[in-house]
Amino acid sequence: MTVPDGVLAPVRSDAYDEGEVQTVRLLEAPIEDVQQASDEIGWGFAPAELAAIKDHFEQLGRNPRLIEIEALAQGWSEHCCYKTSRPVLREHVFGIEDDDVLLRQDAGLLAFDDDHVYALRIESHNHPSAIEPYGGAATGVGGILRDIACMGCQPVALADQLYFGPPDTPQDEVPGGIKHPVYLTNGVVSGISDYGNRVGIPNLAGSVHFHEDYTSNCLVNVGCVGIGERDNIIESASGDPGSVWLLAGGKTGRDGIHGVTFASQELDEDSEEQVPAVQLGDPITKEPLLHACLECIEADLVEGMKDLGGGGLSCAVGEMCEEAGVGADIELSEVHCKAEGMRPWEIWVSESQERMMISVSPENLDAVREILDMWDVECVELGEATEDEQITARWHGEPIFELGPEFVYEGPEVDRPSQAPEEPDPGPAPRAPEAWDKALVEVLGHDNVACRAPLLRQYDHTVRASTVVEPWVGELNSDGHADATVVKPLPDSWQGLAIAAGLNPALTAIDPYRGSLAAIDELARNLACAGARPDAIADCLNFPNPEKPEGMWKLERSAEALGEGARALEIPFASGNVSLYNESHAGAVPATPSLLGVGIVEDVRDTATSDLKGGDIVVVGRTTAEFGGSVYSQTREAGGEVPDVDLDALTRSVEAVVSAVEDGRVSAVHDPSEGGLAAALAEMAFGGDTGFQVDLTQVHPEPAAAMFAETPTRWVLETDEADELITDLEEAGLHAQRIGETREGDLVFDHGGDRLAALDPDTAYEAWHEGLTRSLGGDQA
Amino acid sequence: MTRVAVLRMEGTNNEQDMHRAFAEAGGDPAYVHIKQLTDRVPETQQVDLLDYDVLALPGGFSAGDYVRAGAIFAARLEAQAGEALQAFHEDERPIVGVCNGFQVLVELGLLPGDDGDEAAEPEAALTMNASDHYECRPSLLEASETNCPFLEPYEGEDAVVFPSAHAEGRLELPRVEDLDELADRGQVAFRYTGPEGSSEYPWNPNGSPGDVAALTDPTGTVLGIMPHPDRAVHAWQHPDWTRGRDPEARGDGLALFEAIVDHAGGA
Repeated sequence: MTVPDGVLAPVRSDAYDEGEVQTVRLLEAPIEDVQQASDEIGWGFAPAELAAIKDHFEQLGRNPRLIEIEALAQGWSEHCCYKTSRPVLREHVFGIEDDDVLLRQDAGLLAFDDDHVYALRIESHNHPSAIEPYGGAATGVGGILRDIACMGCQPVALADQLYFGPPDTPQDEVPGGIKHPVYLTNGVVSGISDYGNRVGIPNLAGSVHFHEDYTSNCLVNVGCVGIGERDNIIESASGDPGSVWLLAGGKTGRDGIHGVTFASQELDEDSEEQVPAVQLGDPITKEPLLHACLECIEADLVEGMKDLGGGGLSCAVGEMCEEAGVGADIELSEVHCKAEGMRPWEIWVSESQERMMISVSPENLDAVREILDMWDVECVELGEATEDEQITARWHGEPIFELGPEFVYEGPEVDRPSQAPEEPDPGPAPRAPEAWDKALVEVLGHDNVACRAPLLRQYDHTVRASTVVEPWVGELNSDGHADATVVKPLPDSWQGLAIAAGLNPALTAIDPYRGSLAAIDELARNLACAGARPDAIADCLNFPNPEKPEGMWKLERSAEALGEGARALEIPFASGNVSLYNESHAGAVPATPSLLGVGIVEDVRDTATSDLKGGDIVVVGRTTAEFGGSVYSQTREAGGEVPDVDLDALTRSVEAVVSAVEDGRVSAVHDPSEGGLAAALAEMAFGGDTGFQVDLTQVHPEPAAAMFAETPTRWVLETDEADELITDLEEAGLHAQRIGETREGDLVFDHGGDRLAALDPDTAYEAWHEGLTRSLGGDQA
Repeated sequence: MTRVAVLRMEGTNNEQDMHRAFAEAGGDPAYVHIKQLTDRVPETQQVDLLDYDVLALPGGFSAGDYVRAGAIFAARLEAQAGEALQAFHEDERPIVGVCNGFQVLVELGLLPGDDGDEAAEPEAALTMNASDHYECRPSLLEASETNCPFLEPYEGEDAVVFPSAHAEGRLELPRVEDLDELADRGQVAFRYTGPEGSSEYPWNPNGSPGDVAALTDPTGTVLGIMPHPDRAVHAWQHPDWTRGRDPEARGDGLALFEAIVDHAGGA
C-alpha cells in the first residue's frame, strides 16, 4: 500500500502517544495525492465526493482527522447510504400502502394483531461469503438476528436465499481467485447451520439456486422474521440528552474493518487479501446478548437500541443521533478491544460482531447492568447524548471527531447513466422430447428442481416448538416440499405467520423486468398455498456494478417490476437492503431481487400442505408455451421467451386460492415453478407417497408446454369437490380445470390420447431425492 | 404443584420448548440460570435446587459445544452445584435431559450411571452423527421395557414421533457388550425405528448402535433422550399433522411430561 507522502500527518497531544491520531492534510496536499490515498487505503471516494468533503472542511477551517475520513468513507459508501439505489427505489417502490408499516428502521415492523407486531428483514452477506463462505454466512445470520432483536422483537424464523454457480462447473473454468461452487455451497450451508442452530432460531424458508452467472460471485441473503409486543417496540434512536451510550456484547477487534467499503466494490483476483474485512461470528456471545437485550426491553429499561452492523460504532451512534435529533459525546478509549494498540479510527469503524448499542436513562443503568451481568454480557458506558446535534468522539479526553450526523450519515445521491443491453435473441423454444420418461427424470434431477433436503436438513426447523408447517411436508422423511412454512408465534393464539421466498434467477438473467414480476408472483403464490394473504415483503436487491450503464439498467428495470407487482397486490416493502458491485473480473450476477414474504394465516388449523392425500386434481391458471429460463429449456439447451405476469389475474387468483384453503375445500395445494406442472405434480406425489393419473390435453395443446412450461400464476389443487370448486373459480373469472386424480402407483401423464409418461414412483423419487447429493459430491457436510 | 427447574446457561436455547411442555403437562416450570445456583448473583436471585421437584436440562448448544457436546455445562454444573445435584439425585427426584441436556447428563456421569462397580473410565459419550453433520428430521421411537416410571405410557404402545435435531447423537460405549448389559438392566428407554420396522438411515438419524435414542440410569429417575418430546406436545407440532391428525389433539410427547410431573408430585 503506497500512500503518497504528505497526505497523512500525526497529531501531537499530551493525552496520547504520537501516531495514535492522524490528520489527513486535505486542505494542503495535492488532490491527486489524496485521491491516490483513497484508492490505496480503500476509502472508495469518487473525485466529486472528495471535492465535496474538501469543501466542507474548508468551511470548518481545518483538516479532517483520519477517523473522520474513515467514518465518511463508511457513511458515504453505497452499502451504508444507498447513494445509487435510493433515487431508483424512491421512483418505483417506496410509498406502497405505507400505513401498514408501523416502523421502518433496522427491520420493518407490521401489525400482527391488536397487541403484537412482527418484524422482517433480509440482507446480503455476499462479498464476505465469497471470500470465506463459512464465516461470511454465519455472521450474516448474526447480523440479521440483531436487526430484529434491536426493534424489541424475538426472532422466530430465519430464512436464506443462496445463489451459487453450477456444481458441475469444471475446476479449470472457475475464474482465478474464485472458489469452486461446491466448496462455496457446502461452506455457506455449514456456516448458516452451525450459527443458526447454536442461537436456537428455526430456519424455515429460503431457496438455493445454481446458475452459471453466480460462478464468480455467489450471493448469500439472510432473512429473519420476529414477533414482539406493541408496547415493547424499540426505536433505533437515542434517548433524550443525558441518556447514556452503553455498548454491550462482544469486544471490538480489527475484524470487519472496511467491510462496507469492501462490499461497495467489485471482487477481483486479489480479493482473498480482503479476509480482514470478514467479521468473525460468535453465536455463544450472541445468544445471551439477545436474551439480555430482550429482557431489558421487556422490563422497559431501554430508550433505544441499535445493532452494530456495517459501519460499526460510527454508523450506529450517527444514525441513533439523527433519528432522535440529538448529539453524542463519546470516549473511545473506554471500548473493550480484542487487540492491543487499536487505533481510535479502527475502534470507531470496526464491524466486529455480537455488539449492541443501547441508549439508557441514567436512572435505569443499574437495572440494565444487572440483567447483562446475569447473562455475562459485558458492557461499557461510552458517554452521553447531548443537546447540540454534533457528534464528538474523544481519545483520552481530547476530541478527535467533531462532525454533524447529517453530513456523515446521509451521504450523497448519484444519478448514474443507464443503458439497455442489446436485445438478446431468446433462441428457439425447446421441442418435445423423444422419450418423455427420460426428459422427466432429467428435469426432476436438475440442480434447481431436485430435493433440497441434503442441504437444508442441516438446519433446525423445529426449535422454539412453534413450527406448524416445516419446509418438509407429507409422509415422515419423504422430504416433500412446502411452498410456505407456517409459524404459530403466540402460544395462546391460532393466528400464524406464513413465510416464503421468491425469485428464479434463470428468469431475471434473461429479462430483469419479467423475471422480477415473476418473483412477486411466485412469492404471492407460495403464501397463498398456505392459506395466507400476502402482507409484507422484505427485499434484498443484489445487482452488478451500477457504474456500468448495463448494471444500472438491470436495477431500474427490476425495481420497476417490483413496484408494479407489489402495488397491484397492495403489499408494502417493509424493509430493504441493496447490494451492488456483485461483479468481478469474470462477470456479473443476474438481476437478483431476493424477496422474503410474510402472510397472515388467520387460523393455522386451516392451513394446507402440498402432499397428495387422495382426491381430484385441478389446475388453476392458464398455461402458455413460453419456455424462457425454464428448466426444461436448460436441459434441452434451448431458449424461449420469459413469460409475462397478468397482475390482475394474479390478484384475483391469490384471493380465490386463499379462500379455498381457508374454507377447507382443498386437501393439497402446490404451485408449479421450476420444472413446470410435471415437476409440481411429482413433488406432490412424493410428499404423499402415492401416484396419480392426469390428462394434460386441456392444459395446453403442445404436450411439452403442458408438462414443462413455467408459466406464472398457476396452482395445482387436490380436492373432493372439483366441480363446485371449478365453478366458483370460473365465476371469479379464473381458468380452472380438472386434470385427473391421485391414485396409488405410477406417475401417469396423458395428452391428446397418448400416454406421454408413466414413471414408477421409485425411479422418479430417486432422481429427485438424490439429485443434489449426486451434484454436490456424496453426503453433504 | 410439581416445581420444575428448567436450567439454562449461555447456549441452552430450547428452554422455552421445555418450559412450555412442562406447563402443558400441569407442572410449574421456572427458568433457572446456572449462576443462580451460586453466590455469584445478588442474594434475591439465588436459588436452591432442592426447592424443586424436577430438574430439566433443555437442548441447545450450551457454551457453544465447541468442545465435546455438553462438557462445559456438565463441568460448570459439577463445580457450581455439584453437592446440590448429588442430593437431588440421591433423593431420586426426576432429572430429565433432552438433546444437549442428554449430552450433559452423560458428561456428568449420571447416564448411563453407576452400576455399582466404581468405574473410573467415562461410561459413555454422545458423538458425531454417522452422516457427519447436523440432522433435523422426525424420528419414530419405540419404548423399551424399562425401570423408568416416566416411560410407562409408552411401553407396549405404537411407535411415537419426536423430532430429532442434533449433530452429536451417536452413543458410544467403551465395549460393545455394554449395550446388552444396559438393555438387560432396563436402561435403554427408547430406540429408533422405521415405518416398516427397519431403522436404517434416516430413521436412525445418527448411527447409534442398537438404535438407542434414550437412556435411563439404574434408579430409573434420570432420563436422557436425544429427540425432542418437548417439540411434540401438540398434534400441530407433528410434521405430518395435515395428513389426518386433529391439530388440537395431544402430541406424542405430552404423556412423558405428564408422567414426570405425576411421579414427582406423588413422590
